[in-house]
Amino acid sequence: MSHPDAALAALRDFFAAGSGAELERACARLATAGCVPPPEADEDLEYDFNRLFVGPGRLAAPPYASVYLETEPRLMGETTLLVRAVYHALGLASPRQSALPDDHLSLELDAALALRAAAGEADGPEMAALRRYFLAEHLGRWLPAFAARVREASPHPAVACAVSRLLDWLDHELSAVPEYGEYGRDERQRRCV
Amino acid sequence: MSRWTKERVEEALTGPLSRRTFLKGMAAAGAMAVLPCGLLAPEAAGATESYGGGYTVFRNACPRNCYDTCAIKTYVQDGVAKFVEGAPESTFTRGGLCVKGNSYIRSTYSPDRIKYPMEQQGRGTGKWKRLTWDEAMDKIARKILAIKEQDGSLLGLGLTKYSGNFGITNYGVEGMMSSLGYTTRFVGTPCWPAGIDAQNFDMGSMWCNDPEDMVKSRYIIVWGANPAWCSVHSMKYLYAAREAGAKIVVIDPVFTQTAAKGDEYWQVATGTDGALALGMCRHILDREMYDKDWVAANSLGFEEFADYLRSNVTVDWAAKLSGLPAERIVAVAEEFAAARPATVWIGYGLQRHVNGGATVRAIDALVAMTGNIGKEGGGARYGHLQTWGFNYHAMVQKPPEGAVGFVGASGPKGEFDFAGGDKTVKHTDRAVNINKTAQEILDARNPPIRMLWASCKNVLSQDFDRPKMIEAFGKLEMVVVVDHFFNQTVEQADIVLPVTTCLEEWTVNVSYWHYWLALNEQAVKPLHEARSNIEIAAALSRRINELAPGSCTFPTEIDTREWMEAEFNKGIYDLFGLKSWEELRDGPVKAKLASSAAWHDRKFATPSKKYEFKSELCAKNGHEALPAYKEGRKAYDKLRLLTPHSKFSLHSQFQNLDWMEEFNPAPVVYIHPRTAEARGIRHGDAVRVFNKVGEEKLRAVLTANVPPDALLLYEAWFNGRKFNCQNLVDDTSADMGAFKTGAPGVAIHDQFADVARA
Ligand code: SF4
Repeated sequence: MSHPDAALAALRDFFAAGSGAELERACARLATAGCVPPPEADEDLEYDFNRLFVGPGRLAAPPYASVYLETEPRLMGETTLLVRAVYHALGLASPRQSALPDDHLSLELDAALALRAAAGEADGPEMAALRRYFLAEHLGRWLPAFAARVREASPHPAVACAVSRLLDWLDHELSAVPEYGEYGRDERQRRCV
Repeated sequence: MSRWTKERVEEALTGPLSRRTFLKGMAAAGAMAVLPCGLLAPEAAGATESYGGGYTVFRNACPRNCYDTCAIKTYVQDGVAKFVEGAPESTFTRGGLCVKGNSYIRSTYSPDRIKYPMEQQGRGTGKWKRLTWDEAMDKIARKILAIKEQDGSLLGLGLTKYSGNFGITNYGVEGMMSSLGYTTRFVGTPCWPAGIDAQNFDMGSMWCNDPEDMVKSRYIIVWGANPAWCSVHSMKYLYAAREAGAKIVVIDPVFTQTAAKGDEYWQVATGTDGALALGMCRHILDREMYDKDWVAANSLGFEEFADYLRSNVTVDWAAKLSGLPAERIVAVAEEFAAARPATVWIGYGLQRHVNGGATVRAIDALVAMTGNIGKEGGGARYGHLQTWGFNYHAMVQKPPEGAVGFVGASGPKGEFDFAGGDKTVKHTDRAVNINKTAQEILDARNPPIRMLWASCKNVLSQDFDRPKMIEAFGKLEMVVVVDHFFNQTVEQADIVLPVTTCLEEWTVNVSYWHYWLALNEQAVKPLHEARSNIEIAAALSRRINELAPGSCTFPTEIDTREWMEAEFNKGIYDLFGLKSWEELRDGPVKAKLASSAAWHDRKFATPSKKYEFKSELCAKNGHEALPAYKEGRKAYDKLRLLTPHSKFSLHSQFQNLDWMEEFNPAPVVYIHPRTAEARGIRHGDAVRVFNKVGEEKLRAVLTANVPPDALLLYEAWFNGRKFNCQNLVDDTSADMGAFKTGAPGVAIHDQFADVARA
């Protein structure tokens, strides 16, 4: 796995963490991306991570796209189903189904990894369009708002660093992803008839 | 030249035709060979369509503590509940829900839900760690076993549960406790017990007419109830009755939305309703407008009651106490007695007083002496449990072999205790008063209550005397809370467990007001890691039996749909004219009633089989045999304090949703302009409401809708706010309730306070 992918995978695992130990492991991997890992047995990170992203209270920064992209913040909105359709187009699905809504940040970063892995010679117009869509129209639209909410909530330094790496990654991807290409020729011909 | 756009990609992803082309293109590019990543997995071959499927309709029921228990139709697409509506098949629900029921999509998919089992490192610290279900069950099971080891019994484990979810399978929470052994149960009800006892003394049971028959009433007194907010579906029957010529009188200390809809409104002095009813009785007696035939044929003790009225009650006395003009009391009494049929809707608010049971008996007497009991369109309507004859399969569980319990007075009961007492059992649970939860925790000895399990119950919001409750929680070694949202009780929990919403579980529901039966299907898979109460019980049983085999009899694997089915029996099927529960998938059904009138055959369930104006049973239970006037509570502060239901919440549920916050963003106290002026308070001022229990800071709203001698603030908790009306309400008991529900009610509206600028 190339270096940017390793960082992305570490970010994914950071936001997917279900325990202090998993958080710690993800932090260790983020160290290569320049995030200083918190001291061992720093429980404050776990408490803060849960306050921001997990619960049980009202979340300071819910890590779900639909909270930012729907007219009214909610889970399992149209956005969530669109994201599920993106996974479907990639031949993927979340095995956790409603136990973890499809537009949870960790799953979306996993899909971003899949999009990178799928990049190659055979990249057709559909794949290119999907990549542009997912990065620019989806992640690009909600991650900045999400990051702003995290920052407003005075996060633990490890969370702050992970979120700024997330934005760095997004910026990099957005600058690299080509603009939308031409719409499929066959389609156009049919339309012209 | 045409390019891809956002819209075009979305269309390609979701349009049924374009998607096929798009996917073909993707496949050609080799995208389908993407390596499995960390979290997402290759879609199973032939995976179901992920987008744009048709709607499937599921049947649900609103399980809240609400008169209406609405039958709901839930429209599900792609595994997501899209919208809900009232079931049109029920003539009661008639296709509509209230503001609360319409928010079920909003609550189920709220980002604020409790999602995972979690453990707090120090109550109130906000330091939460996530647990797996296995870890959570392990911690709880070990604590329970440690209690058993230490005390030799499980009486140190207390259960508090009430009306958060009335779905019948949720009695599995009680079942879980029974399956562990003998525990401490918080029994009784904060809701309606004084009135239940009153109706039991008068008629032998609590049984109300079908609310749909109010259309036949010619005179309706809505007494201490606010159906315009709290039973919206009943309003159409009031309107229909009025269309047909009925008069509607509303009696309430507060000028409610229902009062605004009435033909005549009486602002009664709080807690004097009994005097008012007796004053009306006296006048009807003097005018000989009572139903002599009915009284002679169907009642016991009427002469004694008449004597009591003649020597103790006058209209002027009633007018003086209640603050209402004698002429109106006389006029309405005559109209009521002349109307055939006439009815009273007895609300729960008027019995949340130290004289609440006596008040309900006085009103019952008014309805009975005018011959209106047992008549369609008549009746002293309070509530009923006629349709609740389920198996209580989830609730009725055996204790494990050798379980040790409480030896002494009989075990717990409650208005929903259908199990009956088995007199051969030596050991029982330890029953303590739910309306004095804080005091009982503080007082419990040998053993103390070490651990509290709260489900379907927001203790810190709904139980009385919050300062004392915080003190009591300090004595508990472990607090487990099962809930949907982070409320003030979760804030004081050690372990919180996420529970399913009504759209996510199988159960069945009936009402304590109307006569419909509704199925509640699992419309969508539970979100996050939520589990139903009976699944939680099974998981606990699994773990505790691994640690100590034979320590819990609750099945360790359950199929929740089968458990719903197991609640049905022949009695229910016959009552509702069903062959199978599956018929409920086509919509709710109504009980096949011989008559819409309660007591239509005048066979009362009292010892004498008559309506008992004079009840020896009542006297034996420590009250007056006659429905005599009982004094209210002496004021302990300058103003009366009322804490009734808001339009936007059902007790502590719903108010936390963003939709409600939009219209009702913050708690306020309503003050009469004169009362405010005397204290230099203006509309919108920050004020302090205070009494011997505690104090609350909030904004003042001036309105003449509340009486000058009262302050009103609605119950419920607000997200992220400390507000809690229980800082101002003590745990003084109502007069009645212990006979049928195991503990007396509580005098929620016999509270007093003062207010000042903050
Ligand atoms: S709260 Fe009451 S009126 Fe509203 S939907 Fe539920 S049962 Fe119906």
